[in-house]
Amino acid sequence: MRTAYPIPQNLSPETVNNTASLLRIVALILISGAAIASRLFAVINFESIIHEFDPWFNFRATKVLASEGFYEFWNWFDPTAWYPLGRVVGGTIYPGLMATSGVIYNVLHALHLPVDIRNICVLLAPGFSAFTAWSTYMFTKELKDESAGLLAAAFIGIVPGYISRSVAGSYDNEAIAIFLLMFTFFCWIKALKSGSVLFSTVAGVFYFYMVAAWGGYVFITNMIPLHALVLLLMGRFSSRLYVAYSSWYAIGTLASMQVPFVGFQPVKTSEHMAALGVFGLLQIVAFAQLVRAHVSSKQFQSLLYYAVVATGLLGAIAFALLTYKGWIAPWTGRFYSLWDTGYAKKYIPIIASVSEHQPTAWPAFFMDLQFLIFLFPAGVALCFRQLRDEHVFVIIYAVMASYFAGVMVRLMLTLTPVVCVSSAVALSALLDTYIDPQEPLEDQEESKERTKAPDASNGATTHQDSTPVSPAMPKKGKKAAATAASSSSATKTQTTSSTVTFILDALSSSSTKKSSSSKPRGIFGFDARLAVILNTIGMLLFFVYHCTWVTSTAYSSPSVVLASSNSDGSQHIIDDFREAYYWLRQNTEKDAVVMSWWDYGYQIAGFADRATLVDNNTWNNTHIATVGKAMSSSEEVAYPILRKHDVDYVLVIFGGLLGYSGDDINKFLWMVRIAQGVWPDEIQEANYFTPNGEYRVDNQASNTMKNSLMYKMSFYRYPDLFGGGQATDRVRQQSIPSPGPTLDILDEAYTTENWIVRIYQVKKDDFLGRDHKTANAFAQGKRRRKAKPPVRRKALLA
Amino acid sequence: MFLPTLFWLAAVAIAGVHARSSAGDSVLVVVEPEHQAKYSIFFQNIKDRGYELTFRAPQTEEPRLVEFDAPKFSHVVILAPEIKSIAKDIGPQGLVDVLSRGVNLLVALPQKQSPLSAFAAEFSLILPPPNTHLISYFPERNESATIIPVAPSKDHPILTNGITPIWFSGAPHALSTNPYLVPILHAPAQSFAGEPDSPGDVLADAAEKGGEGLWAGSQLGIVTGFQASNNARVTFVGGREVFSDEFAQKEINPGTKSGNTQFVNDIVAWTFQESLVFRVDKVEHRGLNTPISSDKYTVNDNVIFSAYISKYDPQTSTWASYSGIDDLQLEFTMLDPHIRTALLPESETPGKYSVTFRVPDRHGVFKFVINHRRNGMTYLQSSTTVAVVPPRHDEYPRFLSAAWPYYVGAMSTSIGFVLFSALWMARDVREEKKGKTE
Amino acid sequence: MAPKAGQPAAAANSPLQTLWKAYTDTTPDRLKFIDSFLLFLMLSGVIQFVYCILVTDFPFNAFLAGFSSTVGQFVLSASLRSQVNPDNKEEFKEVSPERAFADFALGSIVLHFFVYNFLG
Repeated sequence: MRTAYPIPQNLSPETVNNTASLLRIVALILISGAAIASRLFAVINFESIIHEFDPWFNFRATKVLASEGFYEFWNWFDPTAWYPLGRVVGGTIYPGLMATSGVIYNVLHALHLPVDIRNICVLLAPGFSAFTAWSTYMFTKELKDESAGLLAAAFIGIVPGYISRSVAGSYDNEAIAIFLLMFTFFCWIKALKSGSVLFSTVAGVFYFYMVAAWGGYVFITNMIPLHALVLLLMGRFSSRLYVAYSSWYAIGTLASMQVPFVGFQPVKTSEHMAALGVFGLLQIVAFAQLVRAHVSSKQFQSLLYYAVVATGLLGAIAFALLTYKGWIAPWTGRFYSLWDTGYAKKYIPIIASVSEHQPTAWPAFFMDLQFLIFLFPAGVALCFRQLRDEHVFVIIYAVMASYFAGVMVRLMLTLTPVVCVSSAVALSALLDTYIDPQEPLEDQEESKERTKAPDASNGATTHQDSTPVSPAMPKKGKKAAATAASSSSATKTQTTSSTVTFILDALSSSSTKKSSSSKPRGIFGFDARLAVILNTIGMLLFFVYHCTWVTSTAYSSPSVVLASSNSDGSQHIIDDFREAYYWLRQNTEKDAVVMSWWDYGYQIAGFADRATLVDNNTWNNTHIATVGKAMSSSEEVAYPILRKHDVDYVLVIFGGLLGYSGDDINKFLWMVRIAQGVWPDEIQEANYFTPNGEYRVDNQASNTMKNSLMYKMSFYRYPDLFGGGQATDRVRQQSIPSPGPTLDILDEAYTTENWIVRIYQVKKDDFLGRDHKTANAFAQGKRRRKAKPPVRRKALLA
Repeated sequence: MFLPTLFWLAAVAIAGVHARSSAGDSVLVVVEPEHQAKYSIFFQNIKDRGYELTFRAPQTEEPRLVEFDAPKFSHVVILAPEIKSIAKDIGPQGLVDVLSRGVNLLVALPQKQSPLSAFAAEFSLILPPPNTHLISYFPERNESATIIPVAPSKDHPILTNGITPIWFSGAPHALSTNPYLVPILHAPAQSFAGEPDSPGDVLADAAEKGGEGLWAGSQLGIVTGFQASNNARVTFVGGREVFSDEFAQKEINPGTKSGNTQFVNDIVAWTFQESLVFRVDKVEHRGLNTPISSDKYTVNDNVIFSAYISKYDPQTSTWASYSGIDDLQLEFTMLDPHIRTALLPESETPGKYSVTFRVPDRHGVFKFVINHRRNGMTYLQSSTTVAVVPPRHDEYPRFLSAAWPYYVGAMSTSIGFVLFSALWMARDVREEKKGKTE
Repeated sequence: MAPKAGQPAAAANSPLQTLWKAYTDTTPDRLKFIDSFLLFLMLSGVIQFVYCILVTDFPFNAFLAGFSSTVGQFVLSASLRSQVNPDNKEEFKEVSPERAFADFALGSIVLHFFVYNFLG
């Protein structure tokens, strides 16, 4: 066969194999390095700090684990969270993340490397992203070949959809969960392909690890049974499927019940019933196969068939009955709202109010995935071409993940791995075709072919004909711009003929010159190859550039510290949050109780180490509604609530001076809605709008709005800042009337430099038993209205 | 021979005379200098009880009541109700401020409008219209209608038993329902509030309205105490004549002196934190089976809680354990009391009150709350926070008899597996041997 | 567990008898040995399930542990059976019967570890 460009001759297969393996290992190491490095922007730009909100709780839990040992952590009851209800932490968290950090901490300390627990927590996510890249490589290798695997690993190493939840500092469950997801899927596919119980057991054990790590394990719990069911329906039942699924289910489910937070859910809730149903179905089908092998009579076989169907239907009816009776719990709100998207807004406003739970806007797909998003359908189509068992899995995964990613922004994360895998398959297929140096035979002279002149001579007469070397098409992975760049070079080697034929069937329309006979199809000429390959490299470079840019600008902010730029371009750090939290830490009693909206609960607990009323766990809706009621009611109504809960300090976020739009006044309507859910008689959302239906905070604001505690706390003394001029709220773009609101039950305790965090102290009961308004009026010298003596007699009328 | 008895007499005299307060001995007396001599018996009595008196005219600035943000005196007596203006730091806001710092006050109320009227209003006392005196035509007597003999009620916790009636002249006030008020002396049933010059106007007006609007009867208070939540005490007396030498020496019945001196001594003892002063010395709590206390209990634990209460003895100026409270209550509270039980005095230890109870079956952050408020007594308030945790993972009941079939099942499976593997491998070895020998 | 599927009417005895005859004739000894173990496990599981429904399910975790141990062991043994069955040789290219047994042992040990952790 002729080749379009020269390739080395006289290489033994072992040399080729060894070189290929070496290149693969080097590529994986470089991909891991790229993955870790691109996640370090936040650490370099700011400092090694835990980001966001949820990671602060995980960090606190890990500190308890590291300092007090596993059993104390397992039984930890936190009296400072959800005061005064407390929180049984041991039974209400997924301990996988903390346990992982704890193990790493202990191992390092056993090696006498005293790494601080904070650094371990901050850098855990980048570390595990390297593992994710490796497990994606293994997974894709099962689908196609190693070169596709390397591409997939490179993609998932730097794609922003995954980076957003795994930067250094984002110490959240997804940091290790995605690695476990891909590895469990890899083990499942391997088990299915080989029919080995070993891989099933490993899949079960990693499934257990995943259950311990993330609430999204339900995805695996439903994806694998769905795959098995589709295979069954496609008529692809085999003993391997039986072995793989049954072992996985038996071990995995039993193991998953060891996590206290999951408990008995796998046998009692609807989300897990699919797995159980498919398990039962597989048993029935396997048994039927076995029986059928022994009996040949057609009549018996048809009886058998009907019996199987009848049993399956009976099982389904049994499930429905149990669900109806309540023995099997229906879908919980969090997962039900994925199917019925309007449900949460009406019934569970807390779920609807989280910004991560909003539907995805289409630009988010491009920002998180760039050109992978349009390679993704091509990859799925290629899977249809091959349609082995593992391809069915990728197809199902792709469809379900696309639906979920469209419903909730947060679930872009589960879409990202399958997009990386599919687009790697597609891109690898493209590159395989165009890098393959073999040119098809010229069949007839009349076919118009352009040949590259020197190649004919270079193209040696004998090529080692398609010795089916294991697919060796190594490519160096792409690195992030931050690390040293090395150009990509592809070693030209033989490709497997089977792959080539397959690809040729699929993509035969490129620059193939017309050949009248149907047999020889391929790509002629070096220039065609060069054009496509250069184009592809260009797109990959753009991808790298995009990923790095998005990571550095959008996803690397700690969100505890804000950054803006001065007029001369230098960076100006806005550190109000930490300023306020440290004020709390240093200036309040150790047992002081702080009330704030639930967003900031974990941060207050982590930074200021004070008891909070509600936090991001949001497990008790009534407690949150109580806080919401206190925030949205007048002072007289709010004061008894504050005193009953022993609140000492109230904390609000106000962005009006700086223009920080994530402040509490913008979230205020959610507080009202949640409170209204529990006290619909006392709080109505409509009262907080103007008669025209606008949400205003200036002099047109409704009375309920002006008297609400949140409004008063946000704008207390705000007009004084402007010294008589217009007091403008930069976020709402409205001007606050002066004089500003007055506060009777609270004293202003602290306001940060840019007025972002405001802390108020709750006044104790008046020592003379008066209400605070009257007491304040007296203290300012106002005269009291004369009271009448209480009437104790009735009038005697003559 | 004489010496021991003399010694003993002197000791008794000193002890009996020095009934010191639990809160301090310095008293500021605000009185116009020209009226000071009229209350000499009163001031002497206070001095004899061991207090240091400092006098100040109402409009003067010195001596200041508060200096460097701390009160310089422990108690203040205000006998200048009728003045038009008063120095700022002893005006209404100043007095409320200093009361919040724990200074006790003894105030004579004005009959005319004066700055002190606003002060009294803050204490839920409703003052009558200006220039109103308490008038009573009964019992028949030689003095004017505005000088009234009042018999204190028996069994009042503050007043000594068997006190003779006192002379009173001044204005009454109505009491609202503030629970901090401690009524000491009510107006006689036949008295009413009216203008001393023309008392009939008020009566006529009221008669037209069927009795409505007439300030009359024993519902009116003339001496009222007020104990604020920080246990500072204020006593409002309807008129300063009660303290005067003239009333002290006046005879209530032929041959019996009025009880004014004794009455004034009693209310001074109460106001200046001598009598009815209690405190919670300490509280202890521990699990029933452990000797040490901890701040963590498990649900359904048995807990024993003890409180030590002592009472101040003005005779000896010491705190002595007191077991006489028979209705002390303990609340075990998380937002609302989950347990409310009686704290009974222990007979072995004086002053100790304890109770044993079972922690509720609910985890959370609970408080042991003692909140004992009785009329005239110091408020006993104590709050101790503890955490109630759910059982640890190994504190649940294990190896239940109901579960034996499951244990047997699991163990039989393991044994079956071991047997199966052994037999399988034995069969393998046998087959290998067979294969080898063939 | 999967019930015997051949029960409904028709010519009552002969399908079952033919089935039984076919089974005893064609099945190698090894597989019959595994089948007896499977039968034992199924009985044990049924007994536990019946006890749970009839008497009490009180320590539910103990029930789940015991029941899952029988189910899990059953499944593993059934997998072992299909892997050593000479009819299935071409399906299990990578798994030799020895490897199958080793995998079976490993899976069972892991299963029992979790069972005993969950039992108490």
